[in-house]
Amino acid sequence: MRHSYGKQLPGMDFFELAGKLIAIEGTDGAGRTTQINLLKPWLEEMGHAVLDTGMTRSHLAGEGIRRAKEGNNLGRVTQSLFYATDFIDRLENEIMPALRAGFIVLTDRYIYSLMARAIVRGVDAAWIRSIYSMALVPDAVFYLRVGVEELIPRAVFSRGFDYWESGMDVFPGHDMYESFRNYQAALLAEFDRLSAEFNFETVDASGDIGIVFAQLKSKIQRVLESSSGTAHVPKPRVERTLPSNYQFENPFVSALVASALREPSFSFQAAAPNHSNGNGNGHRVPQVK
Amino acid sequence: MNIGNSGPGRIGPFEVFYPTEPALRRPQHYENHDFPGQLFVVEGIDGSGKSTQLSLLHKWLESRGYGVIFSQWNSSPLVKDTTKLGKKKKMLTPATFSLIHATDFADRIERSILPLLKAGAVVLCDRYIYTAFARDAARGMDRRWLRDLYGFAAKPTVAFYFRVQLETAIRRLVGARDGFKFYEAGMDLGLSDDPEESFRIFQGRILGEYEKMIPEFGLTVVDATLPVEIQQAQVRRIVSRHLETAKELRVRP
Repeated sequence: MRHSYGKQLPGMDFFELAGKLIAIEGTDGAGRTTQINLLKPWLEEMGHAVLDTGMTRSHLAGEGIRRAKEGNNLGRVTQSLFYATDFIDRLENEIMPALRAGFIVLTDRYIYSLMARAIVRGVDAAWIRSIYSMALVPDAVFYLRVGVEELIPRAVFSRGFDYWESGMDVFPGHDMYESFRNYQAALLAEFDRLSAEFNFETVDASGDIGIVFAQLKSKIQRVLESSSGTAHVPKPRVERTLPSNYQFENPFVSALVASALREPSFSFQAAAPNHSNGNGNGHRVPQVK
Repeated sequence: MNIGNSGPGRIGPFEVFYPTEPALRRPQHYENHDFPGQLFVVEGIDGSGKSTQLSLLHKWLESRGYGVIFSQWNSSPLVKDTTKLGKKKKMLTPATFSLIHATDFADRIERSILPLLKAGAVVLCDRYIYTAFARDAARGMDRRWLRDLYGFAAKPTVAFYFRVQLETAIRRLVGARDGFKFYEAGMDLGLSDDPEESFRIFQGRILGEYEKMIPEFGLTVVDATLPVEIQQAQVRRIVSRHLETAKELRVRP
């Protein structure tokens, strides 16, 4: 049985999601897109149906985000929420239906990139986690890790310095190179932190494309052989001195702590199916088409 | 409301490294702001007459020389096209409906409402976070999740809730417009094929959510069945009590 990170979307149903959800994470320039472009035909050749998806590709919000980023007056809370809208639209309308149809979903970034970007911009970490508590826990998260020193030449020689990738909104100044370094280093630190919390499988992505590809292939093989949805629940480091009925302000935190205290080997409790859409047949997604 | 991650009670997984300056560490939490400006918001179901009251208040404040800025729900220049697209193509689910409205609100908060409050303006909002709490909960979104989502909002000086019975609101609306809009009537929830019936059920739920929020957020209730003039006199009395201490940004000499 699959689960979310604590909250369930109205009308969302976690049963019969036969496919596999594989997230490829990493900072800008880590080679995620290159690897997905290799993995997709490889998986298809083996006879799997593959959906690849990524940030700002939603029908709803993709175009709006691109337009908003043309200016430089997009605030950090607004930015975080715009991306969350894009993510949930793809989760509900692409990822979940594809998993239900037995597809392998390769997602170029998942909630972790969105969290890292928001946190580096000074957004409250508990707040952004609460928003993404509705996300589905993937079958695997592969974290393509490249050090800052290695990222710089990749950025410079492929596409130059981009305003947002250089974090010019976070480290304003005249020096785009300095800003890029600081921003990417901060992102990397945040990724490493999330990696421990959410149990990413780290892949050293500083090497040759072919070597990274071979590593990913063997890791994905293992995912395809395992049962769905339980491989990568986060391992929280929780102090066990809190009273068992302690209520945190944030329900995500409460759920997390409650289940960690209950079970020595931690696993998320699936949120109860939501019956409150009031039409008497609980699981039905409201018809909006 | 505090959405966590502050103070000494932190627990492991939520301790986070911030590379940015301390002032940027936390978004504004829903709490009393200590800005020189004042924030007045009106809430209520469609047909409660809240917009009429706000517009009368607006003119009165302007005539008294205050720098007044009016901010409407769903009006961010960066976001409203996306909302419009979602509504027109009927693409919005309860979750994306909620998030896109939160995005719109965040843009207005970050770029307009907070800076104006800091500058000492009187900011008037037609609908505020309580609209989202009521509508989104009526669509089945988790109430706790919604309150966390809007944790960055500033607490209004006064939030007026124009209380009216459903039947009264519907009588006012039916004469005044042609038909109900898809999302306004909650048609996305499949409550009824008849727009008026769907509107009735959906707005009824919203009304229930508002009632629960009166004690939760200390909303100031105005009886919206009273004559317009009497309601306005009440509103002005309450507002002027708060303006005695406010710094006046006079727009006209």
